[in-house]
Amino acid sequence: MFRSRSWFGGGLWRPKNPHSLEHLKYLYNVLSKNQTVSETNRGLLVETLRSIAEILIWGDQNDSSVFDFFLEKNMLSFFLRIMKQKCGSYVCVQLLQTLNILFENIRNETSLYYLLSNNHVNSIIVHKFDFSDEEVMAYYISFLKTLSLKLNAHTIHFFYNEVNKHTNDFPLYTEAIKFFNHSEGMVRIAVRTLTLNVYRVEDASMLRFIRDKTAAPYFSNLVWFIGNHILELDTCVRTDADHQSQNRLADLVAEHLDHLHYLNDILCLNIEDLNKVLSEHLLHKLLVPLYVYSLTRRKDLLCDNYEDRKYVSTVVALFLLSQVFLIISHGPLVKTLAAVILKSNVEIIKSGASKVLEEFEEIVSNETVAFLPPKESLEKSLECASDSRGDPSKLADVQEEENENEDATDVKSDESNNLKVDEEIVAEAEKSKDNTERDGAKLESGASSNAEGSPARSESSKADATSETVVKEIKYLSVSDEEKEQRLALEGPLNVGRVDITPEEESVSNKPFLEAILNSLYCQENDYAALFALCILYALANNKEVHSESLGFSLAPNKSSVKNRYNETLIDKIIHIITLSCQSGAKVRLVTLELAIKLLLHLVICDNESILQDCHLAAIEAAKEQSTALLRNFYKSEDIFLDMFEDEYGEIQKKPLKVEWLMMDSNILLPPTGTPMTGIEFSKRLACGEVERARRSIRVFFLIRELSLTLYNEVENQLPLTNPGSCVQVNNVLDLSNYMYNSDLIACTVVWKDGQKIRRFLVIDSIQLILVEPDARKLGWGIARFVGFLQDIEVVGDKDDSRCLHLTIHKPSCSGTSNKVPLLSAKFIFDDHIRCMAAKQRLTKGRIKARQKKMTQIAKLLDIPTSTPQCSTPTNYSLVSLRDRTAGGRGPHHRSSSLKDQQQQLQQRLFQVNKVPGFAAQMRRDSYANKSLGSSSSGGTTSLRHVDRSPTGRVSSQEGGSGARTRENSPKLPRPRSEEIPLEDMRLRKTSLTSNSSSQQDDKDSAAATMQLAAATSSGIATGQNNSGSSSNSSTASGQMLEVASTSRSGSGRSEETSFMERQSSGSSNSSHHRESRPRRKGQVETV
Amino acid sequence: MSYAYLFKYIIIGDTGVGKSCLLLQFTDKRFQPVHDLTIGVEFGARMITIDGKQIKLQIWDTAGQEAFRSITRSYYRGAAGALLVYDITRRETFNHLTTWLEDARQHSNSNMVIMLIGNKSDLDARREVKREEGEAFAREHGLVFMETSAKTAANVEEAFINTAKEIYEKIQEGVFDINNEVYLNKLFVEKIVCILIEYLLNYFIISKANGIKIGPSHSPSSPGGIAGTGGQGSSQGGGCC
Repeated sequence: MFRSRSWFGGGLWRPKNPHSLEHLKYLYNVLSKNQTVSETNRGLLVETLRSIAEILIWGDQNDSSVFDFFLEKNMLSFFLRIMKQKCGSYVCVQLLQTLNILFENIRNETSLYYLLSNNHVNSIIVHKFDFSDEEVMAYYISFLKTLSLKLNAHTIHFFYNEVNKHTNDFPLYTEAIKFFNHSEGMVRIAVRTLTLNVYRVEDASMLRFIRDKTAAPYFSNLVWFIGNHILELDTCVRTDADHQSQNRLADLVAEHLDHLHYLNDILCLNIEDLNKVLSEHLLHKLLVPLYVYSLTRRKDLLCDNYEDRKYVSTVVALFLLSQVFLIISHGPLVKTLAAVILKSNVEIIKSGASKVLEEFEEIVSNETVAFLPPKESLEKSLECASDSRGDPSKLADVQEEENENEDATDVKSDESNNLKVDEEIVAEAEKSKDNTERDGAKLESGASSNAEGSPARSESSKADATSETVVKEIKYLSVSDEEKEQRLALEGPLNVGRVDITPEEESVSNKPFLEAILNSLYCQENDYAALFALCILYALANNKEVHSESLGFSLAPNKSSVKNRYNETLIDKIIHIITLSCQSGAKVRLVTLELAIKLLLHLVICDNESILQDCHLAAIEAAKEQSTALLRNFYKSEDIFLDMFEDEYGEIQKKPLKVEWLMMDSNILLPPTGTPMTGIEFSKRLACGEVERARRSIRVFFLIRELSLTLYNEVENQLPLTNPGSCVQVNNVLDLSNYMYNSDLIACTVVWKDGQKIRRFLVIDSIQLILVEPDARKLGWGIARFVGFLQDIEVVGDKDDSRCLHLTIHKPSCSGTSNKVPLLSAKFIFDDHIRCMAAKQRLTKGRIKARQKKMTQIAKLLDIPTSTPQCSTPTNYSLVSLRDRTAGGRGPHHRSSSLKDQQQQLQQRLFQVNKVPGFAAQMRRDSYANKSLGSSSSGGTTSLRHVDRSPTGRVSSQEGGSGARTRENSPKLPRPRSEEIPLEDMRLRKTSLTSNSSSQQDDKDSAAATMQLAAATSSGIATGQNNSGSSSNSSTASGQMLEVASTSRSGSGRSEETSFMERQSSGSSNSSHHRESRPRRKGQVETV
Repeated sequence: MSYAYLFKYIIIGDTGVGKSCLLLQFTDKRFQPVHDLTIGVEFGARMITIDGKQIKLQIWDTAGQEAFRSITRSYYRGAAGALLVYDITRRETFNHLTTWLEDARQHSNSNMVIMLIGNKSDLDARREVKREEGEAFAREHGLVFMETSAKTAANVEEAFINTAKEIYEKIQEGVFDINNEVYLNKLFVEKIVCILIEYLLNYFIISKANGIKIGPSHSPSSPGGIAGTGGQGSSQGGGCC
């Protein structure tokens, strides 16, 4: 009794608790009193609507009576009433937000069903809001999206009703797709989400509705939208001057990728009927007419209406098709597309579009394979679809035809399965030919009789007609060449003369699309198109649905046959690219080379074995030699070269090429450029300047070396230069007594920049610097607390404190990012000056030795004789050596006799040349010389591994231009072009620590130092002897473990004293020995 | 209402971490946080002021779209900022962050500002992920970090606004991640090149920054290249067409 009173009578004043049934009653009263929206009650209404959302959700979670009241009072109808009053965005937005919250948060299924049951929601969906308002649009589309997320087999019936014939059948879907091309990206995404959510509800009748009534209009509009995007993209590429539109282009490319992924997502839902319609539209209206037909510019092929045909540039077409094959995995679609590209020949292309036009002109004048706008806007066709619906006889008719059409397409897909032997395929093709002819005739008569039918009707018949075209085309494609020619001879009397063309010839010249791809592989001016040609071949080869063998163009190794194990034409072209990229000044970008190698390996590696024939293998070896020779020109005993070498190795290992990612980069769509100003990654542009040319040849060397090793199934054992396995890691526990054998322990205090002080022992290994803390548990052992590579250290003495050294250790191989933070930057305080000097000496020398060792390794890799560092030459020696060589090595016949000389001279030059004025120019000459050598050797058939090749080349070049040579060596030499930054200059940036610090030391130290040193020398020797004796028990690991540089004094180490030592101790017994080696040392310190 | 910029955000993270609650909490302050009410929404917009400029934030929750690759992809690309949310009371939501981040980095443009949010800080008693862990993760991946509570509204405002500030700063500074920086450095003329590049990039920044739209109120007298590209930018911001 009381309850019922409060049920109806309550809610006249605002209750205190906002979360209660009473509050909702109050809100109900407010709504019913303010049914007309006005300026004055607007605020109140908005707050009421908001509170309703809040309280309903609270009720859903806490008190079911709240929801009952809402339903009983049919409060949703208030919403509608308010909405219909053109209430302005303020109220609309609140309304939509309330609805969003409602549908998003309601967990109780029954409540949800009740909310949806009385068709109010559908009325709200079809309401025409003010979509020009950004905010209304966003809330509206989010509302639709939220609803779509609630779709399932049960709820679908609230939205889609097959019985209901009066309203739009499926407003949620049809209203949403009208925004598929909305200017706001987020709206488009929401529409796509919604459509996908709808498609995946497994409801047969709903899907039938979508297929019959909406698929054709939606997909044709979508395809047209995508196509226009592509045209815009193409315009962007064409009109781009100096890479100005990179950002716009990036947007367009990303958008195209979005489209492809969306299409793929639909296709992956495996809704057969839908996929058929979608594939048809894609092939007929976009992929074949716009993408594939743009591949070739042969005017004779392109049909009558060539003038108004829309097309994109070949490069763009290749790029887009690669993306299609990389992303889309729907078998029938990619198979057909691959067939069209790889198999269609001149006749088909000629007749394909025009013949169809002839046959169906009266009815489907513009429904051929062509990129043309849809006949009407999506909105209009959707309206028509809903109007025309309801004539069952027509529908049945359409379906019948579709069934027949299905038969034909089944045959098509069977054929492309290609598991049958040739004869079978031919037979089946014949059958399908009959089939299609029958179908075609039937369709023709049927279509003409229905010519005045409703738009929907003609729409579907058009679709059928066009699918005929594809079936027909496919039928041609699946026939063997021989058969095809026969048939062509029968069909067209003009073609009779063509029968004697060999299949080989036909495969290229008669297949314009394939020809276009293969022709693009030539890098005449640049590798612009070649990169994309490689991409599309790679994508075709890697798409699991494409079986290229059956299409007459093999893209996979063939184990079974002995003779044609792989596609030789293609391999020839790929190897040509690889060979080209090894030449200096080559216009092949690194990324092209890498992709070519990747594709090559895909084509010839079969069960981890290479099936490459000897002649091709030899060509690869020749390329390898050439790349080595090219790199030899850049080999210099300078810090920068080693750093570059290791950096590039790291880069290559870190970022192996991923074609999917490469194809996301819009930058490759622009013509290859050399300038780094564009912000394009190094590997995706040409080298600029001497430094980049050096980097490039280093990478080319790595890539081809790896290719060669893979082909021989060998394991890389020379790279990286530092074997990470042999390095000490932080926290390793080391046996210090063992370390004594190759190093010493020097006690020191390390003072970090932040003032932190730690006592450590410094161990200098052959490649590493290690800071050790004695192990408290194990006597004689220590724990590595810090490790750094000797090659990266920088030692500077302290002006004020002779016991101090400032040590900086750079991070290895981080390619010099601008804010490079060193691995370690600290002050080392030693017990006394002598120990300090010893440490410095060892560090300095360690650095030099570590680098020398690596340079020797590189020299070995490059087949440069490794005795190099030992040969000493005065500064101007290279001049002499140049002359000597010309005299001695004239003509290739003298090669064998003077080979040794030449090699030696070569090394000398390599190490000394940077002292010659104008060396950069000399370098260029060398590289040209090698280029000529390279091209001459590229035709070679045997495996080439001759070290002497480059000297030969050089000699011949010297012969030709001895006059020029003298000029080159004169100081008046032409300066290198301004864009080229000679490698030598980089030295200025990297201060050679050795020369630097030692000279400082020289200046500063005086007689006192000399005295000290004398003492040090003697005491050092003493300690050394001591040390060798007591090394086993020196593990007393306490403070007195300090060893001065001494062990190195014995044996070979003796000759390696620093210049500092040497100069100061001229009076010592060693002086003569040192003086002898001084010139070399000087040279080393400066050049290393 | 007019605005100088429109920033589009997305919210990502496992289901049930409170993404939509955070969103509602931020976009509609009228919903007072109450303990017996969990309420959220998938879309919201709100105006804020940074540096005296009106900036509109549009926040799109991406929940429920994980099933489709194309959708996730597009969302990332269209956003200027992302809130990556985990639940401090559920360890597994924290463990999945790496996957989320990888996805975001792969699909988004490099300038997208990502903020890491540890949500449900009100449930300290049931905490499974320490604050320090969140901080460490953020530091490691270069994110801004904050712990919030959609329940008590703690830090919610700050999380969204700080992200907006960072985007705004990026616009002002024209900071750009040039991935070939590496190569420029080794050039002798790097300084000159850098200056030139910075100038060029400043000029183009607006058209590049996705998920940012220039509002109608943006005056053409503003400094730098922003004004120059303003007209173009409004069409660019929404992607294409």
